[in-house]
Amino acid sequence: MVNKIGYDMEETQETDTTTLISDINDIAIQDPVVSKSVTENEPVPSSSEQGSSYEILFDQLKEKNKHIFVLSTAGKPIYTRFGNENQMASLFGLMIALVSVTQDSNDTLQSICCGQTRIVFLNKDPLILVGVSQSSEPYDQIKKQLTYVYNNIISTLTLTQLKKIFHNRTNFDLRRLMSGSERLIDKLITFTENDPGFLLDSISCLQMPSSSRDKITQTILTQCSKIKNLVFGLLIAQKHVISIVRMKKYSLHVSDIHLILNLINSTESFKTAESWTPICLPTFDSSGYMHAHISYLAEDCQACLVLLTIDHNLFFTLSDAKRKITEKMRCNDCLHAINEAIIRQPISLARANITGLRHLLYKNKNRSQHWCPPFTSPYNTDELQQNLMSVYCSLISQINFPGRTLKVIFQQLTAETMLAWATEDVELYMTFEPLVSKECATNAVTKLTQWMKKEEDSLFIFNIPMF
Amino acid sequence: MATRKKVLLKVIILGDSSVGKTSLMNQYVNKKFTNQYKATIGADFLTKEVMVDDRIVTMQVSKPAPGPNPLCASIWDTAGQERFQSLGVAFYRGADCCVLVFDVTSPGSFKSLDGWRDEFLIQASPSDPDHFPFVVLGNKVDLDNRAVSTKRAQQWCQSKNGLPYFETSAKEAVNVEQAFKTIARNALAQESDVELYNEFPDQIKLDGGSSDNRSSGGDNCAC
Ligand SMILES: Nc1nc2c(ncn2[C@@H]2O[C@H](COP(=O)(O)OP(=O)(O)OP(=O)(O)O)[C@@H](O)[C@H]2O)c(=O)[nH]1
Ligand SMILES: [Mg+2]
Repeated sequence: MVNKIGYDMEETQETDTTTLISDINDIAIQDPVVSKSVTENEPVPSSSEQGSSYEILFDQLKEKNKHIFVLSTAGKPIYTRFGNENQMASLFGLMIALVSVTQDSNDTLQSICCGQTRIVFLNKDPLILVGVSQSSEPYDQIKKQLTYVYNNIISTLTLTQLKKIFHNRTNFDLRRLMSGSERLIDKLITFTENDPGFLLDSISCLQMPSSSRDKITQTILTQCSKIKNLVFGLLIAQKHVISIVRMKKYSLHVSDIHLILNLINSTESFKTAESWTPICLPTFDSSGYMHAHISYLAEDCQACLVLLTIDHNLFFTLSDAKRKITEKMRCNDCLHAINEAIIRQPISLARANITGLRHLLYKNKNRSQHWCPPFTSPYNTDELQQNLMSVYCSLISQINFPGRTLKVIFQQLTAETMLAWATEDVELYMTFEPLVSKECATNAVTKLTQWMKKEEDSLFIFNIPMF
Repeated sequence: MATRKKVLLKVIILGDSSVGKTSLMNQYVNKKFTNQYKATIGADFLTKEVMVDDRIVTMQVSKPAPGPNPLCASIWDTAGQERFQSLGVAFYRGADCCVLVFDVTSPGSFKSLDGWRDEFLIQASPSDPDHFPFVVLGNKVDLDNRAVSTKRAQQWCQSKNGLPYFETSAKEAVNVEQAFKTIARNALAQESDVELYNEFPDQIKLDGGSSDNRSSGGDNCAC
């Protein structure tokens, strides 16, 4: 079987009436029925060898729930989550043909649905990103994932460079400049599938007494404020942010922080040596690089300090600043406080003591920060946790549906009862035991809100000082 | 770089209907031929790994040490019939080589070459059209009723900056391998002739937060 965007037809004098099937919906590559009909139309031995290898390839691809492909507008492969791009060259050709045909009629191909499978296209000239999901994820969700992958590519190249490269050479094989970043993209996709921060557009903070956090922030600020062209300082513990400082008038966007977190948590070598790396923050400024000084505070304190500047000559200044920050933090017990907080993570929901409540997501909307307590029984397996995340995902997209102002959703599912609750300042998604009544659930909101008043100082970062 | 991926070349085949584009591709990739004619609708894609041992390759800075260079040719076969041609500009963009095919028994298909070449140059708009690698194939040389002489074909190729010309038979596998070797080699030369993109873009300018995304208080700012 040859990969094709049309069908082979027997061409005889009489077949002039044969209709050309050109409906985009029928060209779905994932649909087994379609590929079967192509096979049946294949009486000639023509390309059966390549055909069977394609069938094996497609069978392998179908086993995976979620695919992400990146290609250039010339149809050259750049990234695939699974498998080898060269073997899929024809598949990439097919994608570009679909995009091209639609473009030719002054239209944009956004998504193809066939059964459970949804294919989403994101056209970001000179790149095209394609997501294929078999787990009925919402369109917006897949599109956002594709945007994250796109941003990750921008973060290593900058948009200016990317455009320049393809302006000069439309046939450029971008994989030449991507070695090493495939791994980051793999990790980032996993992040977008599991992390509530991606769903909620927010970051998670390391819980600690606000007095300790303020002391840490002040220590960083004192050093940073003296340095010209330093724009942001960020202290991170695993997936959590401890502290942020920033230059007056500038702020860090959540999706840029997610990229930084992904970079740090995917790169072991940062743990052993201080690093100096160019990174473009696409939302902040996609045209140029920031330069990041990245280092863990100390052997005995595994928090990672990221200092971001626009000046690529600042390494030694920042290295010096970092050393002073660590020294000061050792003296004023901040290192100790961070270690304590890391050991105490994650903060269990049991402390809120609300009967029937199994799990929740709490988002402070003004701060774009969230709290997600650890999963407890009965969510003991990856699969059960993943299922619950999909339930959250669907609630979140309903609450945030553009143009709609839903405030409360109460859902009794077979395995749990869900309550989504949105106010001006807060989004709250709660998971209860099944059969919990509406009153019971709303009472829990009140109780939790009261508890939060006491705890939010330690769960969120309220003080993000400027210099 | 040790982990460099295999080079992937995009090769587009153009020419009038039934000159043998699909047959040539099948002969080259699958070593098969059929007398049956099935018009291509839209496009077919095939890939093949090829070895090119070429000086041009090894001279490139970013290439591995001299030696055979494995690469992967992705061949985009198109429809010659007008009613099946609607692939759009994007389809042709970024090709590394374009193969123009005519049927040596059909003068009409030979005359069309100019049109196909122009059409390709317009649609794909390569950065250096005068030196874009085309390869011309005169197919079906196994047939007796030849109507386009070798000389005439060669003259045309000469007039277009000396395009490589091969006389092939997809049916009897004459010159197919050689032709595609040249196609791959020329495509590779096109693909690898690249400046290094390692100069840094200009430093970001801090404009006091006047641009939307940087200023505080916007959507989703962790502040
Ligand atoms: N004798 C002979 N016949 C050939 C040769 N190559 C192709 N044919 C025949 O010519 C006819 C057309 O070949 P195709 O390869 O389908 O032509 P095409 O250029 O792909 O046509 P379209 O898809 O319509 O654009 C078929 O019947 C082939 O068997 C050849 O080298 N010699
Ligand atoms: Mg054909």
